[in-house]
Amino acid sequence: MQSLYVEGNSAMHRLSPRVKLLSLAIFSIVLFITGNLVLLSLAVLAAAILYRMVGLPIGAALRRLRPIFLTIAVVALFNLLFNPWQQALVPPLRLTALMLLAAAVTATTSITAFIDEVTALARPLERTGRVRADDIGLALGLVLRFVPEIVDRYQAIREAHRARGLKVRPASLLAPLIILTLKDADNIAAAIDARGIRRHGS
Amino acid sequence: MSTRDLVLTALFAAIIVALGLLPPIPLGFIPVPITAQSLGVMMAGVVLGARRGAIAVLIVLLLVAIGLPVLSGGRGGLAIFASPTAGFLIGWIFAAFVTGYLSERLINDRQSGLVQTVSFFLTAMVGGIVVLYAFGITYLATVAGLGFPKAFVGSMAFVPGDVIKAFVAALLGRAVMVGYPLLPARA
Repeated sequence: MQSLYVEGNSAMHRLSPRVKLLSLAIFSIVLFITGNLVLLSLAVLAAAILYRMVGLPIGAALRRLRPIFLTIAVVALFNLLFNPWQQALVPPLRLTALMLLAAAVTATTSITAFIDEVTALARPLERTGRVRADDIGLALGLVLRFVPEIVDRYQAIREAHRARGLKVRPASLLAPLIILTLKDADNIAAAIDARGIRRHGS
Repeated sequence: MSTRDLVLTALFAAIIVALGLLPPIPLGFIPVPITAQSLGVMMAGVVLGARRGAIAVLIVLLLVAIGLPVLSGGRGGLAIFASPTAGFLIGWIFAAFVTGYLSERLINDRQSGLVQTVSFFLTAMVGGIVVLYAFGITYLATVAGLGFPKAFVGSMAFVPGDVIKAFVAALLGRAVMVGYPLLPARA
C-alpha cells in the first residue's frame, strides 16, 4: 500500500511532526472561531501555498483532494441556495483551508514519524492501565501485514464460488472470509507472545 | 487487552481496509452495488462486540489519519477529516460500539437462528444507522453549516442502502456466531 507521504526536503518536511500536528490543531481552532470572510480567504490562500510547497506535481496534488473538495462544493452549493452568501461562504472556506493544510501535513510526515507521534501521545494514557502505547504500532503493523492476505483469500473464495457455479452473494462470500481470517488470531497471538514482543502478554 | 484480542481487532481492521479495496459486491435485487466499508463497521460490532469492535474501527481511522489511503476509492490522510461528511467517519467508532454493546446483551447461543438474526439486524440498525446518522447529521448541520433540517433530509437518501447493509451484517453475524463464536466477549 502506497502511503500519501511525499519524499522531499521542503520547510514543511523539516518541521517536527509534533509542531505540524499542533499547528494544524491550532489552525483548525482559529478557523472555527473566526467568521471573517477576508481572514478565512487569507487562510485558504496560506494553506494552498503551503500545500503547493510540498513538491507534488499540481495534477497529483489536486487529484488527491478531489473527492473531499467535491463534497465541500456540494454542501457550499446547498448553503448558497438557502442562505445569504456572506453567511453561506464561511463553512466551505473553513473546510477548504483545513483540508489544504491537513493534506500538506500528511504529505510531509512519514508513516514512521506519525506512529512515533501517536505512541508518544498515548504514553500518558498508560497510567490508566487500559492502554499500552507500544500496542498501537504493533496493531497498525499487523493490519498492513494482513490486508494483502485477506484480499488474496477473498479472491480464492470467489474463485471457489465460480468453480462450483454458486452465485456470488455478500453473505456467502464474507462469512467464510471473516471466519477464516479470525481463526488465524490464536496462532498469530501465540507467535507474538512466543517472541516476547509485548514483554508480559496477559 | 490480551494478545488475542489485540490480534482480533487488528485482523478485523484489516478486513475493513480490504473491503475498501475489493470491487463492490453486486446485490441481486437492487442495481446499486454496495461499498462494503460501512458494512464492515456494522460487522465489527456484531462479530467482535462493543470494545473490540470499536477499537478495530479506531485502528482504521488511525491508519487514515497517518496518511494511508485505506478508505474506499483510495481516500486517506488528515484532509479526510476536513470533509463535511467527517461526522459519519467519527460516528463509525460509536456505531460499532453501540452495535456491539447491544449484540453482547441481546444475543446468546441458546436462541434459535431466527431470533439471533433478527436481533443482530436490530442492533445493526440502531448502531449502524441511528447512532451513525446522529453523528453524521450533527456534524453536517453545524460544522458544514447546513442546518439540521437540510442535513437530515440530505442524509436520508443513504438510509435504504444502509438498511440492506444492516441485513447483510445480521446474516454474517449469525454465520460467524455459528462458525467461530466470539460473543459474548470473555474479557
